[in-house]
Amino acid sequence: MLNATKILQGIPVISRMFPVDESDGLEEINSWPALMILTSFVWLFIAGLLGVAMPLIQRFGLDTEFFYRALTAHGAALAFPFTFQLMVGVGLHRNGGCSGKAIKGWLPAMIYICMNLGAALLAVAILIGGFSVSIVLMYPLPIVGVETGQWPMWSLVLAFTGIGMVLYTIILFYPWQVLRMSFFGEKREDLLLSERSMNDPGMLGMVLAALVLIIMGTPLLILATYVLVALFGIIPLDAVEFFTRPVVFQFAFFVFAHNLMEAMALMVISGVYATMPLYLADGTRSLYSNKLANAALWILLLTSFSSFLHHFITLFPNLPATLAYHGNIMSWGTGIGAALTIFTITATAWKHGLRMNPGLLACLLGFVLYILDGASAVVTSNVAWAFQLHGTMWQSGHTMTVVLAMALMWMGILYHHYPIMTGRMLDDRKGYWFIGLFSVGATASALVMLFGGADGMPRRHADWAQGGWMVWGDLILLFSIPLILGAVYYAANMMKSRQAGAASTSPAPAE
Amino acid sequence: MIDSIYLSGWGALGITLFMFLPFTAVFLYVIFKKSFSGAKPSDTPASKYVTAEWAWMGFVTAVFVVVNVVSIGYMPTVATATAKASGQDIPTYSFEAQSWSFDLPEMDIKAGHPVRFSGKSLDTMHGFALYHPDGDVLFTMMLMPGMDEPTSLVHTFKDPGTYTIRCLEYCGLSHHDMYDELVVKP
Repeated sequence: MLNATKILQGIPVISRMFPVDESDGLEEINSWPALMILTSFVWLFIAGLLGVAMPLIQRFGLDTEFFYRALTAHGAALAFPFTFQLMVGVGLHRNGGCSGKAIKGWLPAMIYICMNLGAALLAVAILIGGFSVSIVLMYPLPIVGVETGQWPMWSLVLAFTGIGMVLYTIILFYPWQVLRMSFFGEKREDLLLSERSMNDPGMLGMVLAALVLIIMGTPLLILATYVLVALFGIIPLDAVEFFTRPVVFQFAFFVFAHNLMEAMALMVISGVYATMPLYLADGTRSLYSNKLANAALWILLLTSFSSFLHHFITLFPNLPATLAYHGNIMSWGTGIGAALTIFTITATAWKHGLRMNPGLLACLLGFVLYILDGASAVVTSNVAWAFQLHGTMWQSGHTMTVVLAMALMWMGILYHHYPIMTGRMLDDRKGYWFIGLFSVGATASALVMLFGGADGMPRRHADWAQGGWMVWGDLILLFSIPLILGAVYYAANMMKSRQAGAASTSPAPAE
Repeated sequence: MIDSIYLSGWGALGITLFMFLPFTAVFLYVIFKKSFSGAKPSDTPASKYVTAEWAWMGFVTAVFVVVNVVSIGYMPTVATATAKASGQDIPTYSFEAQSWSFDLPEMDIKAGHPVRFSGKSLDTMHGFALYHPDGDVLFTMMLMPGMDEPTSLVHTFKDPGTYTIRCLEYCGLSHHDMYDELVVKP
């Protein structure tokens, strides 16, 4: 069986960011999360390089093929092995400490291996094999691309193998691990740091998210498995004809992809609900109202299921107007959940006061970014505006904003978990620099993308100069600088973390 | 005024900022007041929280209802259904999309007269977006291969001029070269 601590210790240089303490008896809840989080930062580095490459390729007029490769690899690296893996690492660590369950055995190993090996295979298929299909595959483009000689068959098989492994992690292994820790297995007092029940919004969101992933992802998992088995030649391609029809594949894909984002939103909001009470000035450690917080999570859950229809509004009349309007209204319904969350967080701060700390500030500013994303999402889900915004840079802005918002919130929550994982403390000054730079870069980049979308700038388009949109591309490049500097500050803070006990507003380890 | 909100991407941006900026200002004020300038608990009575909660949710619900109800009149799907129900004779602009070009019909299109745009994709996902000469997107349609019915909607041009057609669904390595023109006569 793989030993996460040994793997961590064997990683050169950057393992200093997560020197897991073997002497505190918490290794069984620390090692796998620490390894996952560290690996997610490697993917952030790769995604960052590719993200900067895109506007540079356009500015210097380089081969457009490089742009599409960078686009596909950037999206894939940012969304799954970075953001999702970061979420898994921090989330499992919280679950372990709050339920007293060890994170060990074959399941966390499968989560780690399938996510990272799958993402690596996909990256090779894209960067070497030229498999440039964007993060949402644009099915049947992967097959049409082979038929028209845009990329070789081996890259398609490699990419689908990688995607399959990532899907198994997201839809099966991770939710299974969460449910196993939440409802089954031995509770160990030595691992129990701060017990939470399922009535706690911080735990409820994690379990709801796991259920969403399993329920909404299973059709795609079945479909992907069949297609993969056919691609390997185990069953004839004719046998999967139904699954490979564009309309079948697209709907199964978006039922999952949309709800994946909603599940990640449930997870991160529950993470904020769990973390914020720990930093209240009056020490009450309670939200303004747990009922209101839980209501927000349930509304988000129920409205998100069928709001995926908004992805197909412009397919009219193949998507009938009634279903389009249903998608419209359900999408706005998620806004009601968000409004309850806004009230809960604001009222909690007002009522109890805050003991400010870089981790908490990152959560709160990430939440601001999350609301910008929510506003842009509901607007583009309105049927009238969808016909003007779908396919423009607005959608890219929406996707990038939600990913960066979640990343900022999880990086903030990690500030709280870090001393427990490593026995070391982070520097508050560097922490505030990270938050300032990252927030400014992310918010400004997001707004520029929305302005570009309003201006008709197409997304996934290798010639911004064509419609006079290069100015938006230059601004995205400009604001990526503080974004990257913020991430560098974050990494540097972890590289130079100091032994616990030094002055900091962070709670002591194990609090 | 309302036309310019619902029929333009800039209107969408305005509504987004209308929702985002006041929230950000109030939220940041509360956060910074309660952390950096006197981080102490508030003595606000519980009844005021309840009043604020109802007022806030009432405001959000009102925005939800007003924005979405008013938008119904601007939905291309509704305009198309209304045109179909009226029984009037609307010429059809039938086209096909295939990587990386559009097969467009020869047809006279005049400003002020409704036209039905009706298209299919022959290979992979494509888009059909119509750009006004001033650069604004008038509408975009998703063309999914293998559908029995073409994607279709009715549009009436207000202004004559040369409009740009672009594919807005990423369709492969020459996606950016998939554009064409459409002339609308006075």
